[in-house]
Amino acid sequence: MLELMIYVLLFFVGASIVLYVVLGGADYGAGILELLPSKGNRAAQKKLINSAMGPVWEANHMWLVIVVVILFMGFPKAFQNIMVSLHLPMVALLLGIVIRGSTFTFRHYDAKQTGKSQKFYSAAFSLSSLWTSIWLGIIAASLFRGKINPSSLDFVEAYIDPWWGFFPFSMGIFTSVIFAYLSAVFLAGEATDIELKKFYVRRASYGNIGVVITGGLVFFSSYIDGQKLFIQFIQHPISIMSLLFASLSFGILWFFIEKRNVWLTRLLASIQVGFILVGWFALNWPNALNTVSGPISFFEAAAPEPTIYQLNLALLIGSLFIFPSLFYLIKVFKSQNSGPN
Amino acid sequence: MTELLAARLSMAFSLGFHIIFAAIGMTMPFLMSVAHYKYLKTRETQYLELTKMWMKGVAILFAVGAVSGTVLSFELGLLWPNFMKYAGPIIGMPFSWEGTAFFLEAVAIGIFLYGWGKINEWVHWFTGLLVGVSGFASGIFVVAANSWMNTPQGFEIVNGDIIHVDPVTAMFNPAWLHQSAHMQIAALQAVGFAVAGIHAYLYLKGRNVAINLKAFKIAMIFAALSSLAQPLVGHFAAQRVAVLQPAKLAAMEGHYHTSKQAPLYIGGIPNDEKEIMEYGIPIPGALSFLAFNDFDAEVIGLDQFPKEERPPTLITHISFQIMVAIGTLLAGIGALYLFFLYKRDLKDWLLKIIILVSPLGFIAIEAGWITTEVGRQPWIIYEFMKVSEALTPVPGMRYHFFLFFFLYLVLGILTIWLLKRQVDHHA
Repeated sequence: MLELMIYVLLFFVGASIVLYVVLGGADYGAGILELLPSKGNRAAQKKLINSAMGPVWEANHMWLVIVVVILFMGFPKAFQNIMVSLHLPMVALLLGIVIRGSTFTFRHYDAKQTGKSQKFYSAAFSLSSLWTSIWLGIIAASLFRGKINPSSLDFVEAYIDPWWGFFPFSMGIFTSVIFAYLSAVFLAGEATDIELKKFYVRRASYGNIGVVITGGLVFFSSYIDGQKLFIQFIQHPISIMSLLFASLSFGILWFFIEKRNVWLTRLLASIQVGFILVGWFALNWPNALNTVSGPISFFEAAAPEPTIYQLNLALLIGSLFIFPSLFYLIKVFKSQNSGPN
Repeated sequence: MTELLAARLSMAFSLGFHIIFAAIGMTMPFLMSVAHYKYLKTRETQYLELTKMWMKGVAILFAVGAVSGTVLSFELGLLWPNFMKYAGPIIGMPFSWEGTAFFLEAVAIGIFLYGWGKINEWVHWFTGLLVGVSGFASGIFVVAANSWMNTPQGFEIVNGDIIHVDPVTAMFNPAWLHQSAHMQIAALQAVGFAVAGIHAYLYLKGRNVAINLKAFKIAMIFAALSSLAQPLVGHFAAQRVAVLQPAKLAAMEGHYHTSKQAPLYIGGIPNDEKEIMEYGIPIPGALSFLAFNDFDAEVIGLDQFPKEERPPTLITHISFQIMVAIGTLLAGIGALYLFFLYKRDLKDWLLKIIILVSPLGFIAIEAGWITTEVGRQPWIIYEFMKVSEALTPVPGMRYHFFLFFFLYLVLGILTIWLLKRQVDHHA
């Protein structure tokens, strides 16, 4: 029974991460895309991003909080190790989260919608979107890189080495490119203006290529790092399947982006990114993190049974409230393509 | 600055910053819903304007509250990893419910902010109310988690291992009710007075008189009623503290020596070396009476605790006195307001007083949190784990403190500036 309940928790962790990366990632991507040359449609972009992101970004952000809560309640040993060894990247991540969330809201709700302040918010919003997504990738890479060293007394060994290197930074870049790509796919569907739609379709196509290139960079850097990620990826049945599906859907996606089939492209892009994550989970299953002295599995990091039971209960009952309201939110704002408020 | 002090300051500053936005986020939607309800019932466009005005404030403040709350959920682990390792499984339950409530709040606020004209207007109204209800619930859950640190239960320690974890018992620990009630009412009070003060100011300046008067009256009803309830709840809370955490009560009152007919000091500076209260006005027997409803009851003093297990008396006492003084003042003003409201004769001088006291509710919230947190020292889990044992091994905590201090300082100034622009523009 305990084992089953831990599986349920891990399902929620996995699902929350996928939802955070797909939905929250697209929000980050919107900020990243604003960094690229605008071709004179900056104002239209901003308006579209406001109406697309405004109603949902806070809900999308919540998936991260859910992951953190499940980790510290359900898998305290893993949480403790992560928060100590990855203290610095976590602080960097938080810095970005604070700046991005607040400047996005400030930009929309400032009584004065012109002038220097708007430029300031936009710059802070897009730079922090890029910054935060890079750190998310770095943290993801560091978890399983095997350099987490909880017993070291040396500062560099204990707090820098776990996340410093070519491989984690490649993952950071890969993550930000995925986010930008997702965002372009989502915004292409959101745009009603045909020129703007074309603009995002083009961005999505470039993004598509970017994901493949930076994905290659991740494999290459992991090889340099001594990770053999690629070998492991193609040796594990689930991860190789995921990799195949993800690559295959790039081709299909390319076709549908050109056809501009909104929902199908969105769904495909989400599934694609979901598969990349599933492959990643499968590869590291059932570990929460890898340290220098070996992996710590979710099962050994799990809290006592009564806690796991209560957490299951909270998540299952919570889902009864959250999912219907979330569907309602999406139905109201995403089905009618109603444009900016 | 030692590592421990820097980490404590970081936590204190993060909490102290977040609590302001949390208090607004969980009570302001109620004020907004009242205005919105009045609009839907009367179709007076002034109520609609007011609703939208408040909504913009809520949107800005909610966002800052949400991100600073996220920082806190990480900081629990970043600053106090050993605490979270033990406490996470025990007090995770209120956090998981808080997460659920907060999620619902985030969804509801999205629908409310952008739902104008897109959905049935009563459903829309309800989503606005739901922001308040779920925010209020998440506040109760978080305070319940904090109360466990004061009165830990729901686990056993055998040979250093935690066994028999019972998250339900932990959540409903002896302090959860009085702490939650005290905090939630304080939030209503602080927000009520702050909002009333702003609108009273605009009203007296002659700007948009009709709307500002309506706004003032809605806010003041919340402020006045909660301020009248607060002294009773606060008294109940202090009586519980007297039983559950005598060291904290002794520090709050500067009560060094265990005695019957213990005096209550008005003002005063506790002197830890001489173990006496200086410059205070003693009221004989009053502390015994307030704590136990009996002038002859024995009140445990700080002398019952070894010196290294006593909370810092000066900070605890002074912040407690500030909180009580503000609470008393606001209760008086609340009563006065209800009296003049009943007589249908709002005096300008009363409005001016309300403008003057409008920030005090927030100062009382900060003072109250300082009282309960500093009063628990040196413990992070009362009588089980010391704060120093929970500290992260990561060095350089002062940089963590400076970073977030600077970040929140800028963010705080920006937020106030933005709200001012909103007020200048709309009201």
